[in-house]
Amino acid sequence: MKVLIIEDNQELARNIHDFLAREGYICESCETIEEAKEKLSLFQYDCILLDIGLPDGNGISLLNLIRADFKESNVLIISAKNALDDKIIGLEKGADDYITKPFHLAELHARIRAVYRRKNLGGANIVEFNEITLNTDTFEAKVGEALLDTTPKEFDLLLYFIVNKNRVLSRQAIAAHLWGDYTDNLANFDFVYQHVKNLRRKISSAGGTDYISTVYGLGYKFNSHKQAE
Amino acid sequence: MKLTTKFTLWYFGIMMVVLLIGGAIVYYEIQWKISRVEVVRHERLNDIIAGQIRQGGDFTGHPTRKRATIAVIPADSVPKGIQTFYTRGRGWNPEFQASEFRLVVTSFYVIGGLHYRITTYSFIPSFYQLLPGVVDSFKWIFLVLLIVVVISGGLISKYNLAPFKRTMRVIQSFDLKQKEPIHLPVTRTEEFQELNVFLKKMTDKAQEEYRSLKEFTENASHELQTPTAIIRGKLDLLMESDIRDEQAILIAEMQNALDRLSRIHSSLTLLTKLENQEYTANVSVSISRLAKETITAFEELIQMKELSLLTDIEEKVNIPLHASLADLLLQNLVSNAIRHNIPPAGGKGEIRFTVRREGLIIANTGKEPSIPTVELFERFKKGNPGSDSIGIGLAIVRQICDLSNFTIEYKYLSGFHVLAIGFLEKCPASKLLQNLSVPLHLTLRP
Repeated sequence: MKVLIIEDNQELARNIHDFLAREGYICESCETIEEAKEKLSLFQYDCILLDIGLPDGNGISLLNLIRADFKESNVLIISAKNALDDKIIGLEKGADDYITKPFHLAELHARIRAVYRRKNLGGANIVEFNEITLNTDTFEAKVGEALLDTTPKEFDLLLYFIVNKNRVLSRQAIAAHLWGDYTDNLANFDFVYQHVKNLRRKISSAGGTDYISTVYGLGYKFNSHKQAE
Repeated sequence: MKLTTKFTLWYFGIMMVVLLIGGAIVYYEIQWKISRVEVVRHERLNDIIAGQIRQGGDFTGHPTRKRATIAVIPADSVPKGIQTFYTRGRGWNPEFQASEFRLVVTSFYVIGGLHYRITTYSFIPSFYQLLPGVVDSFKWIFLVLLIVVVISGGLISKYNLAPFKRTMRVIQSFDLKQKEPIHLPVTRTEEFQELNVFLKKMTDKAQEEYRSLKEFTENASHELQTPTAIIRGKLDLLMESDIRDEQAILIAEMQNALDRLSRIHSSLTLLTKLENQEYTANVSVSISRLAKETITAFEELIQMKELSLLTDIEEKVNIPLHASLADLLLQNLVSNAIRHNIPPAGGKGEIRFTVRREGLIIANTGKEPSIPTVELFERFKKGNPGSDSIGIGLAIVRQICDLSNFTIEYKYLSGFHVLAIGFLEKCPASKLLQNLSVPLHLTLRP
């Protein structure tokens, strides 16, 4: 996947770049609207990460151009302003999703995948990993042929793990993914622990491999190299 | 009382006084004038009679002598320095056989060495007879003035106060958030000009302050969120590098602190935005639907904590609130009820949630609060100082309620933390708690 990062903060752009590069994505960064226009005229991108506050203008203005000329690209807005206006305007103008700073990189990745799936796989929204199959339309999870009886949150969690496989996912990142912002109380990691525990139990009892392991002190990891015992 | 009415009433008062004084003046003026005219006429008549005497001859029966008395008097009984005087008083009128008001004019002449006193009189309208006429005419004048003042007062004040009313309309529709400055109507009235200048200055200043505050909030938000995002990203990347266990703990602690930082920051930014009234409701939102959605979203957590949930949600309850705020409100309430739920000894944790047209009540089992419940609405106040929360959820809830003119009440009743929000002005939250139509909370009354 080719990704264009339009973000004026180099450090943040490098974070995103480093994280996504490990997924095998080809990332390019630019810092201004002018640069972005140049890049867009030369190359085709699958996904564009667009910061709203750019040094030479508002990222929203670029959105118009992208929607007119590069219909195929997915656009994900990155904004520090959690202003509702920006959100609504951004989505109305044709952005595919919106993420607010400060975000977890795993979250950003999950959003990129979700947007990509929605747009590029023609409705057959199946995410597969070895024996695990997830249908993001029907929210059905299967291990081999056996249907997993997952709750919506567990399904969401499993999808998050598979998309970010072989990554260490902190409890904070998982909590933020499952319950979103403004969850004053849900820094409560007991819930994360419970969800992960239940999910692992369900996969195991359906005969699947227990890919999820605990990372000491930090959180969890979906280990793709783990072999069935 | 309207300004116009006040002015009109004052005018009435003044008019009454002026008309009374005017009436008296007119009354005495007429009286005096009538006497004057009669006196002059009689003086002339007396002169004529004197002329006839000088001329000699018999004028008995002459029209001039009809009401004349002529007497020759001794020189010493002639008053000094006076040629004519008159008296007024009642006298018998033989023609009308009635006692009438009579004017008597007496003149003194010296004719052929003799002192003559000539007295003529006539009956004039009595002053008492004049009075009703005067009163009557003033009654009419008063009536005409009354009508004129009422009508013209209305019209004139309408015309003159029009710029004031226009200014009022502009000010009433003034919104701190509007981007353009206010436009006040042009007026030639000095006071209104002053008022407009003052208002213009004040609103411009307020708008400027508001803009700079908003700018500050947005800048703070923007400038702080980006470095936070960088740190978080770096930590995410660091986590994946080859690290020792001790380092993992350090990273986890940093993640935790960072998480708090970003939560506090976003909550404070939100509170500021609420205080700046950036979210105004243009349409109403179905709180029934949102409440159900929120419950569904938190269902798994409720099950995980093995709480029993009782809901009683009335259908189609719409309240004027921004959808995002309504969402935030419910999320905070429900998640608080889950998070701070402590089952009673030997019992099961419970959440009771009622939504009614008048308001909503949410109750959860919990320990008796160590600080007064009112204080829990304050920022960073926590019932349990050791908890992970940042203690801002209720402050947000209260801010949303204040913003929407909802009333809010927090009580601890029979083992339950009960939070009630009243949507209607006539039914405040405190009343809601006593409402018998809230069956889920019947047993919670003290």
